[in-house]
Amino acid sequence: MAGVIIQMLGLLIFVFGFFPVKPALSGFRYNSVSVLVFSSILSEPKHCGPESFCAPGFDSIQNNSAGNLPPDKLRSLYQELSGVPTSFDKLIVMVVDGLPAEFVLGKDGKPLRADLREAMPYTQSLLANGMAIGFHAKAAPPTVTMPRLKAMVSGAIGGFLDVAFNFNTQALLDDNLLYQFFKIGWKMVMLGDETWLKLFPGLFMRHDGVSSFFVSISIADMNSYGGSLLFVAAHIYSALHLSCELLKLTSNMCRIPMLQVKDTVQVDQNVSRHLSDELSRYDWDLLILHYLGLDHVGHIGGRNSILMAPKLKEMDDVVKMIHTSRILNQMNNHGKTLLVVVSDHGMTDNGNHGGSSYEETDSLALFIGLKNDVPTSIQDTVYQIDITSTLALLFGVPIPKNNAGVQISEIFKHLADDKKLRALELNSWQLLRLLQAQLPGVSCNEVSGISKCNGSLEKMFCCLYMNAAFLHNSWMSKAVSRLKHGEEYNTAVGAYNEFLRIASEWLSRRITDKPVNLLAFGVVAMLTSCLILLSLLYLTCKEDFGRERICLSNFENSSMHAWHLDEAFTFGVVFVLVISMGSSSMVEEEQYIWHFVASTLTLLLLRKAIQSLKFEGAQSFFSLFKGQNKTSGFQTSSMALFLVSGRILRGWHQGGVNWTHLPDISKWLEQAGGDYIKAIQLVTGILVMTLSLISLSTLEVNRKLVKVIGFCFLTPGFLVLHHILKHQGSMLAPSSYNATMLVQTVYLVLGFATLGTVVALPWLSSLSTSKTCSYYNSYVGPSDPVELRNKSLLVEFTNSLFVIGWAYICSCGQQNKQWVEIAAVYYMGMAGHYALGNSNSLATIDVAGAFIGISSHSTVLSGILMFIITYASPMLAILSMVMYISVKSSNYLALPSYMDSGELLKSMLCLPCLVPLSLNSILLVAYTVILILMRNHLFVWSVFSPKYLYVCAITVCVYIGVSVVAATVAYTYSVVVFRRTIRASAVMEDT
Amino acid sequence: MIILLQSDPASTMKHKKQGRPGELSASAAVSAAEAFIVHSICAVGLAVSFWVAHSLHSITLISHPFQTLFFIWVVECPVVILLYSRYRQNRYECSYLRAVGRGLLGLLAGALVNAFGAIALGAPVGVKYLSSTVNWSMMMSLFVVVPAASVFGSSWTDWQRLFALTKPVGTVEYMICLPAHGALIGSWFGAWPMPLDWERPWQLDHGLGFGISEPSAC
Repeated sequence: MAGVIIQMLGLLIFVFGFFPVKPALSGFRYNSVSVLVFSSILSEPKHCGPESFCAPGFDSIQNNSAGNLPPDKLRSLYQELSGVPTSFDKLIVMVVDGLPAEFVLGKDGKPLRADLREAMPYTQSLLANGMAIGFHAKAAPPTVTMPRLKAMVSGAIGGFLDVAFNFNTQALLDDNLLYQFFKIGWKMVMLGDETWLKLFPGLFMRHDGVSSFFVSISIADMNSYGGSLLFVAAHIYSALHLSCELLKLTSNMCRIPMLQVKDTVQVDQNVSRHLSDELSRYDWDLLILHYLGLDHVGHIGGRNSILMAPKLKEMDDVVKMIHTSRILNQMNNHGKTLLVVVSDHGMTDNGNHGGSSYEETDSLALFIGLKNDVPTSIQDTVYQIDITSTLALLFGVPIPKNNAGVQISEIFKHLADDKKLRALELNSWQLLRLLQAQLPGVSCNEVSGISKCNGSLEKMFCCLYMNAAFLHNSWMSKAVSRLKHGEEYNTAVGAYNEFLRIASEWLSRRITDKPVNLLAFGVVAMLTSCLILLSLLYLTCKEDFGRERICLSNFENSSMHAWHLDEAFTFGVVFVLVISMGSSSMVEEEQYIWHFVASTLTLLLLRKAIQSLKFEGAQSFFSLFKGQNKTSGFQTSSMALFLVSGRILRGWHQGGVNWTHLPDISKWLEQAGGDYIKAIQLVTGILVMTLSLISLSTLEVNRKLVKVIGFCFLTPGFLVLHHILKHQGSMLAPSSYNATMLVQTVYLVLGFATLGTVVALPWLSSLSTSKTCSYYNSYVGPSDPVELRNKSLLVEFTNSLFVIGWAYICSCGQQNKQWVEIAAVYYMGMAGHYALGNSNSLATIDVAGAFIGISSHSTVLSGILMFIITYASPMLAILSMVMYISVKSSNYLALPSYMDSGELLKSMLCLPCLVPLSLNSILLVAYTVILILMRNHLFVWSVFSPKYLYVCAITVCVYIGVSVVAATVAYTYSVVVFRRTIRASAVMEDT
Repeated sequence: MIILLQSDPASTMKHKKQGRPGELSASAAVSAAEAFIVHSICAVGLAVSFWVAHSLHSITLISHPFQTLFFIWVVECPVVILLYSRYRQNRYECSYLRAVGRGLLGLLAGALVNAFGAIALGAPVGVKYLSSTVNWSMMMSLFVVVPAASVFGSSWTDWQRLFALTKPVGTVEYMICLPAHGALIGSWFGAWPMPLDWERPWQLDHGLGFGISEPSAC
């Protein structure tokens, strides 16, 4: 019992050692972002009044009075102060979710592919005539919708953790374009993605939102309830298929069922249905259209989906409709309209997004309606955040304060020279103000002549700005040269552009001020917990050593202490991992490292197995050692088998970032067609079921119990098989609702069966065998849901077999040290994690799989599912510890009986829990330190930060797994002990 | 890489000299100088094969990986087999020709083992990569397996002592053991820089990936 208490205390220490870290970690970025926001607000208590139109460092003319002005007065005030004439009165922002700029503008100056040009004839003709001007707008990672929208309206590079809130959007509190429009009394209408409504609650006069994955049933236009039900089912069904798609298991050709066409079309029809109505009305100033269909098409079929061309045509029709009805037709007195077509992000070839590859960040900014007579052949690359300041200057509102973007100068071509300079000046003021908020040392007061700019950062910014301002002033003072493009004009523009470019780059790359105390506290807490874990591990190992020496001193010589190669390797792997995390490409291609490490470890163990083969092999004619020789022979062959299966698993997905295009098994399967996939799924399903049945029946428990348990786990198995048979191939609509029901049934049955087995089994089974049996079942229990839940993920089966096989092999190898084996299982789990198609880029998270079998939109449920799908492999590896313990426990039973029961539990539980925890804690600490060191690295947002999110998630995963393992084992053990004492007392009474 | 290739046997030589040259094996006593000569002949063979490949056919390991590998093992094969067959065990029961035959057999068997190892460690599978994998494993087999095959034949105990336990006894066994382990460890380390984005030509096709870099480092 004392041991249990010690163990519990130890666990508590880990937990307390770890969990204070959590708020610091999550607060890390988020806090810092809000700190930035607040600091910039605090440093400018005047708020975003007309001071935007004054040079920084001087007092605002109308200090606070501007804040209280009525909207129309404010508007005219802005107009007057801005000095940049507003050429437009109304703005239509059309967001096409996930549209790569390549589809509209071509890539690298090369002309567009013929099929794409035909897909958007009207837009192409606009571009060719110079009616529209398009840019490649480079989006900052994470390339998911919500942070990109924020970036477009506020011009700021958002906090990285925004991605976590992508599915649960909060209102945007920063200064932004929409808020500025609202302040000058604009009426706004929004049609499309609900994200806008969540970001800007109450700002829109009229809106009709659609949700990304589930179109809400409350849409008034739905014909009937049945229709809507069908509709929801269609969505779920498409989500099901999306998951298949993300795992590239379903073929491209068979995946175009009528329902999905409807799905990708319907989301956009819900946007467009009010469009003609809105276009005929003139009561709004800003119309936002957000089309999700293209993104959905991408998720379903990738870039080259056959749905892509019709979808582009549809978008083209919308552009045509707006253009003909509003822009060409603006001779009336309703003012001029500007149409801006933007996309929030691009997509990879598979249609995913979230990462930082060119394909994902290549988003579109297309301005239609500008006075531009010459068609621009060369499209520049701008940044997505540049859209903000451009629009703000075009419409004469203050540039949002946290904007880090630079105006797109091509847009202002039609203005006179002084207006252009004025626009540049306004943008420079705003950036300088932001710089001042972030770098308190920037204070530029004396206007001197032009000087060379070097020295500290503050001085350099200041000097660049002063140069530009000086040139501007000197140009202004010479009225003669104001009439034409003079030399001085060009130098002034050049100076402004230089300042803007450098300041913008610095601002967008800069990691915002971090709360140093919190950070230090977090690191220290993590470090202490890591040290505690490691010292505990060391102590346990030492203790084990001592005990083993006592037990085995007669048989073994002192070679126990020799530092074996595999142990050294296991230890060295940690260092290799830590070092490799410092390199961005190693982070990107981490799956190679894990696989390489795992298979090398296997090779080393194979070598070891051969070593032991020697002693018997040499004297194989002695019948005495025959049995033993068989064991090591089995071990050797299973190692080899394991190597092969590991290689197959690695071949399943060509993961990572740079080499995803190379062939792999899943791509090959995809080409082979749906029938093959179905067959393989069926075979693996049956294989898994037979294997588990066989292993169940080998247990020496009474038949009835086995039958019950077997039945419990067979039911969902057959349900899954049924599902595969019925729904995988056929794309009929009504069945998809049943499919959801089926999936839910599977979840339910599995959940209850697992829980029931784990809770009830120790009580029911006979005393002698209860331990092994319950261990086994509690293992099968937790692992089953994990593998079955991803039932469309065929790979899961392979993986689970792999891990189970590994656990068996490990437990066979008696001479390996325990911690090596546990570490190996952990490595295995990680290798499996990457082999299943995950990577350190956010793009590979299987979002759609999270919606399998959920009939209503629930962030929590889908989040849990997403977590399980992503971390199935490490989870399975950790849960297999239960079985590992059960196999190992036979060793402990052989130990002398002087050990009391608590100590037994402790010795059983200690290592399996400690090793993953300490391994993980080392990695966590190391990566935190690396992240802090790398905070100024070029790839900090695109490579290191996503990896950090993954590291945090895997930490959570390890916690959950370990606590489940510990709880199961402790529970079973306590029940067994309890029953034993009861029986003992009963026996006592009898006698 | 060429430098690496040549220096590897040499470095193992140095190692060997500091080792235990005095111990005698059962079959043949070999002086350190003789071992050095054998290894330098091997190194010269390697250099010759590179030179032939480079000057006559103007191919290098980077531009034409598998052709060069082919050259290396074809040139090196007779050198290694003939040299090591001289040190065969039980020289009275086993003729020189038989040792050569064993070496040839070992070449094929070792190539299979090496190919298995490479593929298990992540070398790509496919018709496209077949030639480079085959040639690479032939070459590796030449350095790792063939000497041992020529010397020991099918003596399981000796094989195990050398490769599983790494406990060589005597100069001949050191002569076999050190280059073999050097080649294996070198090729293992050579696979590490593959995922880095240095964009060097020898990294360019990750498909060849592990296949190329492993010989290049050994």
